[in-house]
Amino acid sequence: MKANRLFALGLSAAMAVGMLAGCGSSASSATSTASAAEASSTAAKSTGKGKVYMLNFKPETDQAWQNLAKDYKKETGVEVNVLTAADGQYATTLQSEMAKSDAPTIFNIGNTTAAQQWNDYTYDLKDSDLYKHLSNKDLAINYDGKVAGVANCYESYGIIYNKAIIKSYGKLDKAVVKSADEITSLDTLEKVADDIQNRIDEVNTQLADDGSDYQITEAFASAGLDDGSSWRFSGHLVNMPLYYEFKDAGLEDLTAGQAEVTGKYLDNYKRVWDMYVRDSAADAKTLNSGALNAESEFGNGEAVFYQNGDWEYSALTDEENGYLVTSDDIDMMPIYFGVDDENEALCVGTENHWAVNSKASEDDINASLEFLNWVITSDEGRKAVTEKMGLTAPFDTFTGDFQTKNVFAQTSQKLQDDGKKIVDWSFNATPNVDDWRADFVSALTAYTDGSGDWDAVKTAFTDGWANQWKLAQEASAES
Amino acid sequence: MQKANRKYWWLFVLPTMAAFAIGFIIPFFYGIFLSFCKFTTVTDWKWIGLKNYTKILFVNGKLDTTFLHSLWYTSLFTLVTVLIINLAAFGIALLLTKGIRGTNIFRTVFFMPNLIGGIVLSYIWLMIFNAFLQKISQTIVSNQWNAFWGMVIVVCWQQIGYMMIIYVAGIQNISADLIEAAKIDGANSWQVLRNVTIPMLRPTITICSFLTLTNGFKLFDQNLALTGGNPAKQSQLLALNIYDTMYGTNGWQGVGQAKAVIFFILVAVIALIQNRLTTSKEVEQ
Repeated sequence: MKANRLFALGLSAAMAVGMLAGCGSSASSATSTASAAEASSTAAKSTGKGKVYMLNFKPETDQAWQNLAKDYKKETGVEVNVLTAADGQYATTLQSEMAKSDAPTIFNIGNTTAAQQWNDYTYDLKDSDLYKHLSNKDLAINYDGKVAGVANCYESYGIIYNKAIIKSYGKLDKAVVKSADEITSLDTLEKVADDIQNRIDEVNTQLADDGSDYQITEAFASAGLDDGSSWRFSGHLVNMPLYYEFKDAGLEDLTAGQAEVTGKYLDNYKRVWDMYVRDSAADAKTLNSGALNAESEFGNGEAVFYQNGDWEYSALTDEENGYLVTSDDIDMMPIYFGVDDENEALCVGTENHWAVNSKASEDDINASLEFLNWVITSDEGRKAVTEKMGLTAPFDTFTGDFQTKNVFAQTSQKLQDDGKKIVDWSFNATPNVDDWRADFVSALTAYTDGSGDWDAVKTAFTDGWANQWKLAQEASAES
Repeated sequence: MQKANRKYWWLFVLPTMAAFAIGFIIPFFYGIFLSFCKFTTVTDWKWIGLKNYTKILFVNGKLDTTFLHSLWYTSLFTLVTVLIINLAAFGIALLLTKGIRGTNIFRTVFFMPNLIGGIVLSYIWLMIFNAFLQKISQTIVSNQWNAFWGMVIVVCWQQIGYMMIIYVAGIQNISADLIEAAKIDGANSWQVLRNVTIPMLRPTITICSFLTLTNGFKLFDQNLALTGGNPAKQSQLLALNIYDTMYGTNGWQGVGQAKAVIFFILVAVIALIQNRLTTSKEVEQ
């Protein structure tokens, strides 16, 4: 009995020690920030003292970043550590990394909601070279009176298509169009896709006659509803009804969103979605199996259309993937939505904004800013960004040879030059995006496999939005 | 010597105690503390009292059944797996202690699934399930019952071998004299099983049911990899529900933490009750 009591005493003693240690560490961190502030005044211009720790958002660019880090170390001696979060794990990784004492100095914020969540951690980039080089200031995130994030690339998405297949199809009797250029509206696209789907064998014969290796099995690449693909529809395609609704509502910032949505353009969504499902070889009842790979269907020339973004360019043309399609045969068209087809360009925006950790030491912040500036001004950096990562950078330093090689991005630019209007990334406004999308996808899945109806999709869209918006507001009001 | 021990015991306890405190006690109490806070990172918190706990059930002034659903779903899952795993493991253990040929090979084969990690295992099973379900135009996440039985199969497949080994050890521990005596008294094999083997195995049953029970409640890997909580969070077991709350909803880290505290209390209480129940039936050797 006595031993027990002693044991309990030991326990509480151990706890007390732990708490003391806790206090101690916070006190020391307070002094260290004070000394850092002092040091910064004396050594504001000194370089090479800080460390850079970047938490990279895009898994596919990891290798390029690692190489850049090495080059930078060689050139300047500054240590750059790049960690890439696994696909879909960015929020988790960021949260745990930020809690460490050696927290990331550069991290990614996706949108205004993230800027709000990480408001205590975002350094004001207003005076940075990075921001000065940003050619379109709309591509920065302004929050709480500061420039919280600067876009490091912008992306365009739409419907990727195979020009060569459409050309062969155009030679058939009574083909709806002769070439892809004639597809300029949802009406035409629908007719073409339906027709191709109905005449797969004829198209394949024609392809063989034309000496092409492509053999199609479907018009549209599978519309997978598993977690690895459903964002194409709960995010990218959902953007269309959101964008047009926000535009009608006269919103000043079309990516900021509003508390409630009516889903007035959901019928158009349904029309497009039904086309994706109807004109595809995938079984509508098992779209969520996770066994579908739309990229390889399109890459191997089995599908003609594939809704995705310009980031797919490197995957589709990378020799290692062994895809059949060549960069000459592929191009991208807007997601025609039956609202304002003739003026519509691609959907252009980004979820990639560099933010600098304001809680890092002054030295580390300066080192991080210099590193980012180096990336967008040096030859190595610019080359890596445009060629290795295949990104379209929004900085005025990317001229001449450093302009994008990505044909999708070129098309995006061309459409804008032709006076068409880009579709903003209104889906960036989605409140509690993971939760909202999960509900929307499950309703969409039920509708598609026949176990649910379209009304449930509408409810998930409108009620889900209002609900999550309120929650998100609440969460930010408390902090 | 005795005296010195009594005087300096704390010195000997200290290293272990420190490790235990750092690795368990401090995080545990810190976690409970955080469940009353709003926080983004664990070092950056703000006290908000019981708000996190009310949000578990009431969202936007309406009853939110996500947590309750995953609570009963998990309970049912645990019940089913505890029964199947223990019955099957016990049955196989009985067979493999009868001295049939190739006993060792069979034991190894049954134990092997346990050596593969939960995530890998589930991805492999995912392909198997979907290949079969494709024939009736369904997938593992078509509805919550597909997901339920899918997880039951994977977990049983994985854990039966492990529990079997414990049962085998228990059965081999029963003195041959007891069984021989029972046989001399004229007991048939059913009577031996009922009146000798099972009573003597009570401690083993306690251990196995405890392990399967807590494993069932805490299941995470297989859930994440096999169903990911789909469709619409309907197949979320408690652990995944907590994880999803923590990372899926902006600013809800505290709510996730509050759920975790409730989860802990629940598992602790159930495990204690189960332990008491089965232990009380144990017999002295």
